[in-house]
Amino acid sequence: KKMASKIRVVLRPVKSIVVRFCPFESNVESTRKFLGCINHKKIQATNRNCEVTADVRHDGSEPLVDVMFADGERLIMKGANLTTIEMLTALGSRCNAKELKEEQKSKKSP
Amino acid sequence: LPFPRVPALSAARVPLSAGWLPALQFVRRGSKAVTRHWKAMHFQRQKLMAVTEYLAPRPAVPPRCLARRRETLEEDNGYAQLLRRQVEEVFRDNRMIAICQFNSMPGEDVVLMRHYLRKHNIEVKFVLNEIVRPVLSQSKYKNLLPLFVARNILLVSREAKAKEMLRVLRGVPQINLLGACIDDTILSKQGVENFAKLPLLETVQGQTVGALTLLPSQTSSLLQRGSAHLTALLDQHIHRLQAGETGSPAEPAPAQSSGAQ
Repeated sequence: KKMASKIRVVLRPVKSIVVRFCPFESNVESTRKFLGCINHKKIQATNRNCEVTADVRHDGSEPLVDVMFADGERLIMKGANLTTIEMLTALGSRCNAKELKEEQKSKKSP
Repeated sequence: LPFPRVPALSAARVPLSAGWLPALQFVRRGSKAVTRHWKAMHFQRQKLMAVTEYLAPRPAVPPRCLARRRETLEEDNGYAQLLRRQVEEVFRDNRMIAICQFNSMPGEDVVLMRHYLRKHNIEVKFVLNEIVRPVLSQSKYKNLLPLFVARNILLVSREAKAKEMLRVLRGVPQINLLGACIDDTILSKQGVENFAKLPLLETVQGQTVGALTLLPSQTSSLLQRGSAHLTALLDQHIHRLQAGETGSPAEPAPAQSSGAQ
């Protein structure tokens, strides 16, 4: 099937990503892999200003991915029952949608 | 059947007459028997080939419906055994073992980080999960098992220099500390930070000794307090008497006070 590291996400409309997980829990695998994929060179190269923070806790809370977009929108993904590929494609589709909107706006404005 | 073309060969029946002639005589039309292009087979040959095609033998029940045979475990190759031995050694020799998640980092950054950690005598080891997991499950570090998912590195050291390690890791955003095992105690990230905030062992020892000796040092002064108070009171009394009776001899009073001591 598709490999998680092959999925390319354009992070331009993203302002910051916070990945919160508790490593001693057993449902954090997909979230950790998601963090590893986001930190790939090519994806980081699409947006140097996007800050990726990893919040490591020990309070038994769920793994969480909090994405803050540049236009103020927020995407929260609870990674306990999601796979890495699902999370990446969800983020990727939203980023692409925002890119298209921005392109249309920049075409309309002048 | 390939190329439904008109075969170049046709068989014609020649009437039997005196003298033996073959029943079938092949008439050549167009190309020869051996050609450089694909030649269509004679129709009878085509039929023969179609009838005699290979049919693979199929079992009555497809194999996926039957219960699967347990495959025997492959024997480990020597490399895996060597890596396993190294991991066991690491867990035995070092006091502090920190486990961090490694997200891809440019190579120079890795080298720089290794350099800074080596200054504090901390080694960086890249580990493979499939090797570490069986080792851990058989040792006493079972609770470290859920940490070994996705790419990890181990920072091992003989001394427990948590503060310096945290300082270096803070400068590298792509490495996230997950947990550590210091002196056979499993700590989370918060635990490591608290551990780093603790003062040095010598300072703590000095503080304990100071607190313990504080009370005994006061004992001697405590015991002498009563008699010292009495002496002071009597001295004051003498002075007052002397000041009151300037003319009278002060000898009986001091003799009494020295006798009372």
